[in-house]
Amino acid sequence: MAILDKNLSLRNRNKILVGVWEDEDALVDAAHALVDKGIHIHDIYTPYPVHGLDRIIGVKRSKLARVAFLCGLTGLILMVTMIWYMYVIDWPINIGNKPVRFTPSWIPVMFEGTVLCTAYGMGFFFFWRNRMLFAVKNDLLDDRQTDDRLVVAIETVEGMNEAEVVELMKSKGAVETKEFQAVCK
Amino acid sequence: MGHGHHIEIKQETFSMPAKAKNFTLIVMVIGLVLSGIGIATIDHNTNGFVAVSAHHDAHTAEAKHEGDHAAGSAKHEAHEGHVASSAEAAHEEHGNVETEAFGPRVTYTSQDKPWATRIWANLLVAGYFFTMVSLCGLFWYAIQYAANAGWSSSIKRVPEAIYTFIPVPFVVLLIAVFMGKNDLYHWAHYEHLHLGPNDAGYDKILAGKAGFLNTPMLFILPSVLVAIWLFLGSKLRALSLAEDSAPKGDTTNFRKSIRLSATFLVIFGFTISIVAWLFIMSVDAHWYSTIFGIYNFATSWVSAISVIAVTVLYLKSQGYLGLVNKEHQHDLGKFMFAFTVFWAYIWLFQYLLIWYAHIPEEMMYYQPRFENHKTMFLANFFINFAMPFLFLLMRSAKRNSNILAVIGVMLVIGHYFDVWFMVFPGVFGNGITIGLLEVGMFLTFAGLFAFWILNNLQKRGLVAINHPYLEESVYHDTGV
Repeated sequence: MAILDKNLSLRNRNKILVGVWEDEDALVDAAHALVDKGIHIHDIYTPYPVHGLDRIIGVKRSKLARVAFLCGLTGLILMVTMIWYMYVIDWPINIGNKPVRFTPSWIPVMFEGTVLCTAYGMGFFFFWRNRMLFAVKNDLLDDRQTDDRLVVAIETVEGMNEAEVVELMKSKGAVETKEFQAVCK
Repeated sequence: MGHGHHIEIKQETFSMPAKAKNFTLIVMVIGLVLSGIGIATIDHNTNGFVAVSAHHDAHTAEAKHEGDHAAGSAKHEAHEGHVASSAEAAHEEHGNVETEAFGPRVTYTSQDKPWATRIWANLLVAGYFFTMVSLCGLFWYAIQYAANAGWSSSIKRVPEAIYTFIPVPFVVLLIAVFMGKNDLYHWAHYEHLHLGPNDAGYDKILAGKAGFLNTPMLFILPSVLVAIWLFLGSKLRALSLAEDSAPKGDTTNFRKSIRLSATFLVIFGFTISIVAWLFIMSVDAHWYSTIFGIYNFATSWVSAISVIAVTVLYLKSQGYLGLVNKEHQHDLGKFMFAFTVFWAYIWLFQYLLIWYAHIPEEMMYYQPRFENHKTMFLANFFINFAMPFLFLLMRSAKRNSNILAVIGVMLVIGHYFDVWFMVFPGVFGNGITIGLLEVGMFLTFAGLFAFWILNNLQKRGLVAINHPYLEESVYHDTGV
């Protein structure tokens, strides 16, 4: 049994069972069958999007939207503070006799700052959460999962009949199955 | 969802429920009754809001005559020489005389029934708004083809039905402009004076714009443009119909539709601004805003998306459009959200450019609107941006049919008000209110519009059964 030295955000760092599919229709049926058996699918890696898989295996709604909101709020506060300090406190200038306080000319800066921080913040946190912040690490369970194979990863839990799971995967069209032992790093 | 779960695609035929028929007719009747009461209660000594006394003498002679006396005063007073003194007094009371760069906002009349100005102005707003909304239905249809969008092919009959309404409000618009031209547009009135550069009351700006802002142009150019839009629209509609009866897998009609849509989009982009300039911006003929065309587009486009969303939700609630699910509804909500923000962006930036530059003659658009009708000005922002923005930000609101429908209706009302607010302070100056006539006029047209859409939907199958992307639309998924 191969040792898994890859960080896949496993829950318990147990052994994982891997099934490889060639056809997405068969994969969707297999995912249904596995979930119906009460088996928790850790993740499915596909080279192209397969619609509906996220719902079948119960992927939770992304928290990216909340992160985006907080980033935007940060940007807004940052910009208001910045203009307020520059324009009101530090160096008030008479421009076209406009008042030295909040004026409509602040709005574009506030808007752009909000958008900038949201965009960069979302990018940063997305890559950070996906462990891709500085470089893409080789996390492939099967070399062909970025090419034409669809890979299912199931983390074993206590009391799971592993042989039965492997048999189910094979009967549902898995062209290959393998096992990895996760290690704690 | 999955490919393993096939959804059967079958044709649906919509028949308008008696309830819908009655409802739209009742809305129309209520609208007509309110309009009638509104018209009956207009004070005949006013132009609808502001007191005038009617003079309809020979304009030229009078203008020239009074121009001699008004040498030092604002030149406009001269060319609008038959201005009622009571109107001027009323304006001076409001203290906005000196804020008008080109003289006081004078209220004048050139017809026997000055009070009718309010009727024509209301018809102008209703006609213009519903023409533009119907046109933006066709714009929706065209961008779906041009962008090769698949998800919307299951609802494409709805915008197809919406655009067919164009001729009805456009005829109303032409009638309103024909009847009330001289009171709605002071350039049209100025045109009759035939002043030369040496005459008193000669207006350099209006004279400079006369090549574009003149009566033949006002009627002929929009009519030509509407004819072009309708021609392209009917072509697209014919292709869509041909596709229904063509053998499955035949993409000839689809490819032709893409080319035609792209053509339409180019024409649309140039022409929608022209219509906005001619009918709405020319109400304040001395003023101009380079962003005005796109501002009008934003207003009508958000309304058109809302109309599409509300119609889809209605059909869905009646058990039609079996292929449409929460995913499509969610995307319609996103469209509404995105262009609500777009509208607010344009709305603000039109103001901002003028605010930055601080040029007095550019202020004349905002002066009667922001200074004298502040509540309406801010209400416009809240109905059309703040309220829908906060609701549509939530995923749950976009996926809730009732909330989305209410916001859709609010947006249509809000943007009708937006157009109303572009026109009325320009025509009447101070003292405008929303009366029974305004409410009634909106209800009449809204009821007619709803009836027209639903009636038109009956005429062909609700599902574009041979659309090459229909299956993509069926399995459309915006994710968890």
